[in-house]
Amino acid sequence: MMNFAESIFVLVIFVTMIGALVTVLSGSIIYAMIGLVATMFGIAGLYVYLNAPFLGMMQILIYVGAISILIAFAIMLTGPHYKRPKEWTTTVKFAAALVVSLFSFAILFKVIMHAPWMNTKAKAFTVSTEAIGRALFDKLMLPFELISLLIVVSIVGAIMLALFSRGEK
Amino acid sequence: MYNNLYIYLFIGLFLLCCGILGLLYRRTLIGMLISMELIMNGAGLNFVAFNRFTSPDNAYGMSFTLFIMGIAAAEAAIALGIIILIFKKFRHIDGQELKEMKD
Repeated sequence: MMNFAESIFVLVIFVTMIGALVTVLSGSIIYAMIGLVATMFGIAGLYVYLNAPFLGMMQILIYVGAISILIAFAIMLTGPHYKRPKEWTTTVKFAAALVVSLFSFAILFKVIMHAPWMNTKAKAFTVSTEAIGRALFDKLMLPFELISLLIVVSIVGAIMLALFSRGEK
Repeated sequence: MYNNLYIYLFIGLFLLCCGILGLLYRRTLIGMLISMELIMNGAGLNFVAFNRFTSPDNAYGMSFTLFIMGIAAAEAAIALGIIILIFKKFRHIDGQELKEMKD
């Protein structure tokens, strides 16, 4: 019999998986975006179960709050829905994609089951949010600065794209 | 039940395979971008799970998940800007019909 935490865990897994399936298989792109939001909430719940509540909060802030809204705006700006191409393509293409996906699933399933992972039944996780901050500014200083450089470049790039598109009209 | 590495690995694998499926058969560019987000989330979930179960006394996996989130945000911003430009120029966002830069 499952206790309360385990039943919530099963619920979170179901939200994640059904959200991923809706994201991939739905015929309309706006439903795919809503499925993406459900998946992101599920993964935030999984982060909480992995003793990383800070990451769960960041997941909700960045993915649900920022990226999904960005995608929704892009969907609304790229024309009305009856002019969009249908998401369902030919069955041959879908079958080929399904074969590739299931093949990679089978290979990685075998890898996961046979790899000798170190102590998979771990003791309690002792890393706090403070430890993440210390790791970011101590050992991982260079990747952190590179990420900030990347974000600055992407901001400038987005601004330049917007300016060019206005100049061409 | 939630103290088991394999469950998280299988969820990450499931997200990866869903992302590959969507990336291969979606027609619009936005659909492909959404599938990319699924793949990146699977990778981030794997990082946190390995950090939790195989080396529970440092925070490198969680830091790299934060980096993945930053990269995903930058990628989504640039890709959606490019998609809107493509729509303004060609009036569609069908990935198969974009032939002008191919040949």
